[in-house]
Amino acid sequence: MNASPLTLEPAFMLGPVPIAAPVVVTWVILAVLGVGAFLATRRLSTRPSAFQSLLEIVVVTIDDQIRGTMQTDPARFRALIGTIFLYVLVANWSSLVPGVEPPTARLETDAALAFIVLGATVAFGIATRGLGGYLATFAEPTWVMIPLNLVEQVTRTFSLIVRLFGNVMSGVFVIGIVLSLAGLLVPIPLMALDLLTGAVQAYIFAVLATVFIGAAVGERPPPRSEPTSSEGKTP
Amino acid sequence: MRIDWWTLALQAINVLVLVFILSRFLFRPIADIVEARRAEARALLDRAEAEKAAAEADRAEARAEVERRARDRDAAHAAVAAEVDREKAALLAAARAEGERLRAAAEADVAGLERSAQRVAADRASRLAVDIAAKLLARLPEDVRVSGFLDGLLRAVAALPETTRASLGAEGVPLRLKTPRVLGAAESEALRAGLARVLGRDVAITVVVEPALVAGLELEAPHASVRNSFRADLDRIAEELTRP
Repeated sequence: MNASPLTLEPAFMLGPVPIAAPVVVTWVILAVLGVGAFLATRRLSTRPSAFQSLLEIVVVTIDDQIRGTMQTDPARFRALIGTIFLYVLVANWSSLVPGVEPPTARLETDAALAFIVLGATVAFGIATRGLGGYLATFAEPTWVMIPLNLVEQVTRTFSLIVRLFGNVMSGVFVIGIVLSLAGLLVPIPLMALDLLTGAVQAYIFAVLATVFIGAAVGERPPPRSEPTSSEGKTP
Repeated sequence: MRIDWWTLALQAINVLVLVFILSRFLFRPIADIVEARRAEARALLDRAEAEKAAAEADRAEARAEVERRARDRDAAHAAVAAEVDREKAALLAAARAEGERLRAAAEADVAGLERSAQRVAADRASRLAVDIAAKLLARLPEDVRVSGFLDGLLRAVAALPETTRASLGAEGVPLRLKTPRVLGAAESEALRAGLARVLGRDVAITVVVEPALVAGLELEAPHASVRNSFRADLDRIAEELTRP
């Protein structure tokens, strides 16, 4: 990897629109996840197969994480939080494919994810509390905190971008540098570490998105019929 | 540093499309099937609870049925025991009555036997007495066995009611005179004269010898008889002996 991580050159032009490599990789990920989800859920049964059980574990775990963090029914937030987690995870792990640079190693992808989280935070906050109620949260605990709360909205979005970008981009750079210096087998431990880092970053991004949206929605008593099996974690 | 806004926008759109796709084809179906399984499990649990409750009810009903049958059995046993007691009491009473009847019959038989024995004994005693009297009278003169009883016969005839005396020897019917032996002429004349004197008229007499009289005279008419003999005395004594 010789190009600057802060600059992005278009791979090709689609009319007036420049299409960069991260967009192409994202399309591939989108296709793989979409087709995979379609094929995996074609024959669901109440007596699950091993693969269906794995998918159910993933979904139930995401639900438990949302419920534990937001103390509310996870159905409304499952698709967004689950998609962010799966996309970031698969994008981070796409570096295992030779010649593929993870889309999350580019600032534009991380910024898009962070802006989506910001937009979801505002949308869910207004949908839950109403516009007045949501705006009133900026004056909590006192009106003096309004500037700080406004700045917090920007800074935490920026922190989401920088955290994911820095971790993934640094991993890609380290592996590229070691690969250029030491040959084929030496980077393998670093790649394994990069897998762990990618999973942790996907989890952190999804949990932070849950926390931000949960803060905008506000705490509610948990549904009585649904058990809470995990506690919210804020890294 | 330069932000490619096209890429940023395209990536945002890509992620939103992915949210839609995964929501449509992954999260919702999986959540639905999990919820369906939970509902199925709840239904199973509810059905199991209902079946358990039904089983409990059936068991309680069976227990009540067993208790009811036990009560019925006890009642039947008690009824049978009471019936047995009644039957036993009836049999005992019948046996006791039969025993009493048999004992009374036995006592009656014993009394009858005793009476028979007494009669036999009296009969033997009377025969023995006749034999003794006959042997004793055999030592007396022959005329004593007749003439000694003539006065007694006439007094007995005189003691009869008037109508009875009037009927004796009336209408030519002779009187039967039983004697222990053949009478002599003097004895016959004395007897005929005595009767004519007592009855106030002459009557016809037919003499019948009957040694069983031992001693004495007996007079018989169609409607009366006068017994004045040892045989008559012995008969009365025997009758007195055999009277219970």
